[in-house]
Amino acid sequence: MESLLRKTTTYDVLREHGIDRRRFVKFCTMMAAALGLEATVVPQIVEALETKPRLPVIWLHGLECTCCSESFIRSSHPIAQDVVLNMISLDYDDTLQAAAGFQVEEIRKRIMKEYAGQYVLAVEGNAPTADGGVYCTVGGETFLSILEETAENAKAVIAWGSCASNGCVQAAKPNPTGAKPVRKLISHKAIVNVPGCPPIAEVMTGVLTYILTFGALPELDRYGRPKMFYGQRIHDKCYRRPFFDAGQFVESWDDDGAKKGWCLYKMGCRGPTTYNSCPTFKWNNGVSYPIGSGHGCIGCSEDNFWDNGPFYERLTSIPVPGIESTPNEVGAVVAGAAAVGVGLHFVSTEIRRATQKEKAPEKEGR
Amino acid sequence: MASSVHEFDPRQMALHPEDYFRREYVWQLPVRITHWVNATCLIVLFLTGLYISHPLLAPSGEAVRNFVMGRVRQIHFCAAMIFTVSFLLRIYWFWMGNAYSRSGFPYVWRPGWWKDLFRQATDYLRLERGHVHLGHNSLGGVAYTMFVILLGWCQIFTGMAMYSESNPGGFLNRVFGWVLPLLGGSFQTRMWHHTFAWGFVVFAILHVYIILYDSTQYGNGLITSIISGYKFYQKGDFKED
Repeated sequence: MESLLRKTTTYDVLREHGIDRRRFVKFCTMMAAALGLEATVVPQIVEALETKPRLPVIWLHGLECTCCSESFIRSSHPIAQDVVLNMISLDYDDTLQAAAGFQVEEIRKRIMKEYAGQYVLAVEGNAPTADGGVYCTVGGETFLSILEETAENAKAVIAWGSCASNGCVQAAKPNPTGAKPVRKLISHKAIVNVPGCPPIAEVMTGVLTYILTFGALPELDRYGRPKMFYGQRIHDKCYRRPFFDAGQFVESWDDDGAKKGWCLYKMGCRGPTTYNSCPTFKWNNGVSYPIGSGHGCIGCSEDNFWDNGPFYERLTSIPVPGIESTPNEVGAVVAGAAAVGVGLHFVSTEIRRATQKEKAPEKEGR
Repeated sequence: MASSVHEFDPRQMALHPEDYFRREYVWQLPVRITHWVNATCLIVLFLTGLYISHPLLAPSGEAVRNFVMGRVRQIHFCAAMIFTVSFLLRIYWFWMGNAYSRSGFPYVWRPGWWKDLFRQATDYLRLERGHVHLGHNSLGGVAYTMFVILLGWCQIFTGMAMYSESNPGGFLNRVFGWVLPLLGGSFQTRMWHHTFAWGFVVFAILHVYIILYDSTQYGNGLITSIISGYKFYQKGDFKED
């Protein structure tokens, strides 16, 4: 059997795959641009990919839909998917690899032992915690225990997608399986959250390239997301922003504004509250992205995005148990109650005043 | 008559006010200025906020020729900044001003505050003239603390956090950005900001009514006092503030 980790470099693999140096350098330049780095860093990326042994990666799948993998294998900008798959040494990915059953688990255990402290754990999906984690088991073990075991000796953990980063659909209310995102299960490791449902392929490869090149995690924001990809809102990079500022909004899906490509704010677009790179990288080889196709952003890379519904309204209901009302409804009721209270007080004051007037002559006589 | 409290007789009072009323300088200039700045800002903020959350009346023509939402947001942000400064100035004056600038504040550890709270509440409910305050009574203090100070802080923090989103990593983002994850993200922060805004509507209804009620009930010139600074009390009223 071939060694698990051929200690060749990414560059060697690319050459094996018939990619010439010119295209390789172009790829490095593109990656630098995608990472928001300046041109002087390009040689650093070239050198890293030429000399550093490939990064061993264990890719776990928990409660998920595999849309992250689907997105990942469609990565286009870093040359092609075979390059992407070879850039890292993807040693364990039960969805993509040929091996199956005990063989697969054997590989995972060997990597964990041979490359302790060196491998990167990429997690797709999250782990259900209710009833001992029985709602997701792989090879007879709960995913929760596999995750904790594999994270133990990992160099870093990458949480792919909204499931691993935020919880996503399976952690939405009422969350019967007690699904929890990786950051709530693993505390002692550096975690990079790469949210999105799925995350953009170029963002995924960009994160890996960064880790490989610099041997460190990219700069993260408050939510543990790489700033280079999640630093700005969709809204601030949206090509429909001029219509927002002008006050021109689509009112219904088939109105004139929709045909003219006006802002989708009133259709519930989550652009103003969503941090992602969609307007920059777009999807499917840069063809388009939701807003470009005339549909609002649903904020898939945001925490609780599934509970922030409905997708086609700007305001959600107040997350207080028992109150299924929007802020405007609550406001109207409370303001109405205040007005009624004031009205009652006023009326009773007037009644009292009127009845006192009848007694007035008595007072004068005193 | 043993008691020096005069009967409420508007005609006599108008003819010989000096026999009936005493005057006291209650609201100092910073209190009056911040009151009107806050009031103006809150009205502007609420109206522009309504537009921002639910924009109406789309202008026609090319986007380049229009800047309605942009302008409304600009006004909202400017008013927010002015409100914040005024709010902070008023907080400064809480300590620096005269005793009335602190009156009514919920000093919950003082039994006297609680006593006054229940007395004022029953006075209002029984529609009685009750006892006279020159500053705020305890009930007023609760209302101002809940609806102005607390709500004000909520709106300042959520608002500044959202405003800072347009410049990630900037000064405001570093100061207020932690609010966003605390409230469950940018979307939820908007929801709370919008909900809290209704608190000011409730406050405005209660505030304006109680001012009108108080002013007629006590004949204390309460409405004009926030312009002139002077409040009146009837001769013989127990002055306890």
